[in-house]
Amino acid sequence: MRTRRISVIVGGLVVLALFASACDDSNSDSGRADRTTTTTTTAPTAPAVDCGNPVASFAPLDPMPPPGEMPAGSYMAEIQRRGRLVAGVSADTLLFGYRNPVTGQLEGFDIDLVREVAQAIFGDPNRVEYKVVTYAQRIPALVDGSVDIVANVMTVNCERWQEISFSSQYFDAGKKILVRTDSPVTSITELDGKRVCAAAGSTSFDNLQQYTEVITVPVEATSDCMVLFQQGTVDAVTGDDTVLAGFVAQDPYAKIVGPAMTSEPYGLGVAKTHPEFVSFVNGVLEDLRADGTWAQMYSRWLRPTGAAPAPPVAVYGRAQ
Amino acid sequence: MTTVTPPPGTPPPGIPPPGTPAPGTPPPSTTKPAPAVPTVPTAGARTSRARELVVGMFSGTPGHMRLLGAIAIVACLAFGVVSFQAATGLRSDIGDARAHADQLVRVQAIRTNLVQADANATNAFLVGGLEPAAARDAYTTGIATTARTIAEAAGAEPDDATALERVNRVVTTYTGLIESARANNRQGFPVGAAYLRQASRIVRDDALPTLERLVAVEQQRVDDATAAGDTAPTVLVVMLILTFIALFVPQVYLYARTRRTFNPPLVAATGIVVVVGLVALATMTWSRAQTDDAIEGPYRKTVALATARIGAFDAKSAEALTLIARGSGAAYEERFQAVSTDAQNATGAGFADRATTEALAEYLAQHREVRALDDGGAYDDAVALATGDGAANEAFRTFERVSSAALAEQSRDLTDDLGRAATPLLPVAWLLLAAGVAAAALAWRGMAQRLREYR
Repeated sequence: MRTRRISVIVGGLVVLALFASACDDSNSDSGRADRTTTTTTTAPTAPAVDCGNPVASFAPLDPMPPPGEMPAGSYMAEIQRRGRLVAGVSADTLLFGYRNPVTGQLEGFDIDLVREVAQAIFGDPNRVEYKVVTYAQRIPALVDGSVDIVANVMTVNCERWQEISFSSQYFDAGKKILVRTDSPVTSITELDGKRVCAAAGSTSFDNLQQYTEVITVPVEATSDCMVLFQQGTVDAVTGDDTVLAGFVAQDPYAKIVGPAMTSEPYGLGVAKTHPEFVSFVNGVLEDLRADGTWAQMYSRWLRPTGAAPAPPVAVYGRAQ
Repeated sequence: MTTVTPPPGTPPPGIPPPGTPAPGTPPPSTTKPAPAVPTVPTAGARTSRARELVVGMFSGTPGHMRLLGAIAIVACLAFGVVSFQAATGLRSDIGDARAHADQLVRVQAIRTNLVQADANATNAFLVGGLEPAAARDAYTTGIATTARTIAEAAGAEPDDATALERVNRVVTTYTGLIESARANNRQGFPVGAAYLRQASRIVRDDALPTLERLVAVEQQRVDDATAAGDTAPTVLVVMLILTFIALFVPQVYLYARTRRTFNPPLVAATGIVVVVGLVALATMTWSRAQTDDAIEGPYRKTVALATARIGAFDAKSAEALTLIARGSGAAYEERFQAVSTDAQNATGAGFADRATTEALAEYLAQHREVRALDDGGAYDDAVALATGDGAANEAFRTFERVSSAALAEQSRDLTDDLGRAATPLLPVAWLLLAAGVAAAALAWRGMAQRLREYR
């Protein structure tokens, strides 16, 4: 029952995602650009930073070193010496990174990605130390070196490139809103004077700031939004469609509405000081795209039935 | 008005019509009726006659004897009544201290139950899967005990009812959130964890501070009730000295004025007052000492053990939350350090028994092991150590069992000791009253015998 519900919802989400990617660089993109302009004029806290194409990352490592033989002096060699990859992940984002309450283990698309990186370094996907980080903790954890990599539904953007580096894009999400099934609301513009929840430190929270008539309710973790939503304390939740899909899968009285307000390309975060590790991770992602593992992961987590769409196209060319 | 009631030239000495001033009458006559004026000299004469009578009664040797006798009788009666009140007052002060100490134990029990329920819930969550039946039973029993204790505490001290009602509301919300967490967990929904966090948060933010304030209030009440008991022995000593003087002076006077050395009834009255007074003083001193012992012993120990248990349970749930947070739980570990230090300080001052202190130290050592494993990347080993049959969890269970037994023993001792301290005070109070009355009767008799010789 539950699996079917997830598949239906995620199916719908995927259709929208496909639509969004099909319209890439066309009208819808210029629409998003307009939104971005609005953000910069009305939200002085988020100044626009030009970093070229934000999803452009460093060229993948070629050839890739075999597992267990990381090149001397590289950050991968340091991880190999330590014996485990330290990854910052989410524990409450169903489908991407969540703690399975039945087994107590972390699972999801992001978790699988981390395991693939560990596999590439050690030849063993289990050599991972997970650190659960909230949205707001993702960048500080990379900057202070307490994690090697962040795989936690993290949007690539130019502001964040100032502090950290990103891998190539591994998922294409969009910001939407979650309302009760009986709600007539179809867009964020109809939520003036209503209470809308978003996780602090997320792009969703920043995005919400431009809608000045909306009452913003910030929380620490996104799943707290769901609790407030189920308790009727907030009228809507805003977040990436991927995250909201995980909420809908847990609550039959919630639905995702509206066109995607923004495009949210996900990347794996790495500290700015380790560009060679970014290249290595990009090499891992290249292999995942090429050998069909990405499609398998997608099917496993986001679309249990039917074929997976093509993975987002990697863009390179950023100077290290 | 004047036409309605034409007054005669001079008002008759009877009752003048009230509120109708006669024309020509001086103003005082409006407030003071006219007949009062001629009675003034009469009243003066009467007063001076009474004064003469009193002076006559208390002048000369028989007069002095009457005066001294009257003072002695009044002093004896006052001794009986005042010292009766002092003894019953002390008894009720000790009773108050006991009632407030019992209430303190109840409030601490509510706090303990709440942090314990929270620790159990977070620990069960850490394990994952269906919670064991035993854990579920422990939680259900804990909540039932909490509800009952809140009702008892509100009934015992209506002053606390408002605060306890607030706590009750939080408990109701808390159980609702825990059930939501459970229902979600059972379906494999990770949002259950968010419900659990919220449940934990409202206990910490809304219920515990209210209960902490109540604890402070009850401790103050215990201290006040104990301090109030200090006045009773002082009152008794003062009364004893005054009554002794009041009985001794007439005897000296009689010795000087009559040929008799002793006045047996007065000697007997003095003896009764002194003996009963000293017995009562000894009893009060003993009661005070017993109360002080109970406060310094079982009371301080009860407070220390309860504080240690609350700190330890809080620490245990912080340990679980640190592990659940997987590496981003630095804030929870900080809380662990703070609350475990509270627990250690509480047991450290020699108020906790050795078994409890050692069990706490053992658990804290095991916790360091849990942290070392988690920080070293061995997360699964750390969880295994902290849950189920893991050594850290076992060490905690041992502490729980040992400290619970010690707390039960100390709070029982506290109630018993304070009850024992108050027991002899009621008979002593009645004895004091009886002694006062008896001494007064003897004093009257002793003086009456001598006075008869002057008729």
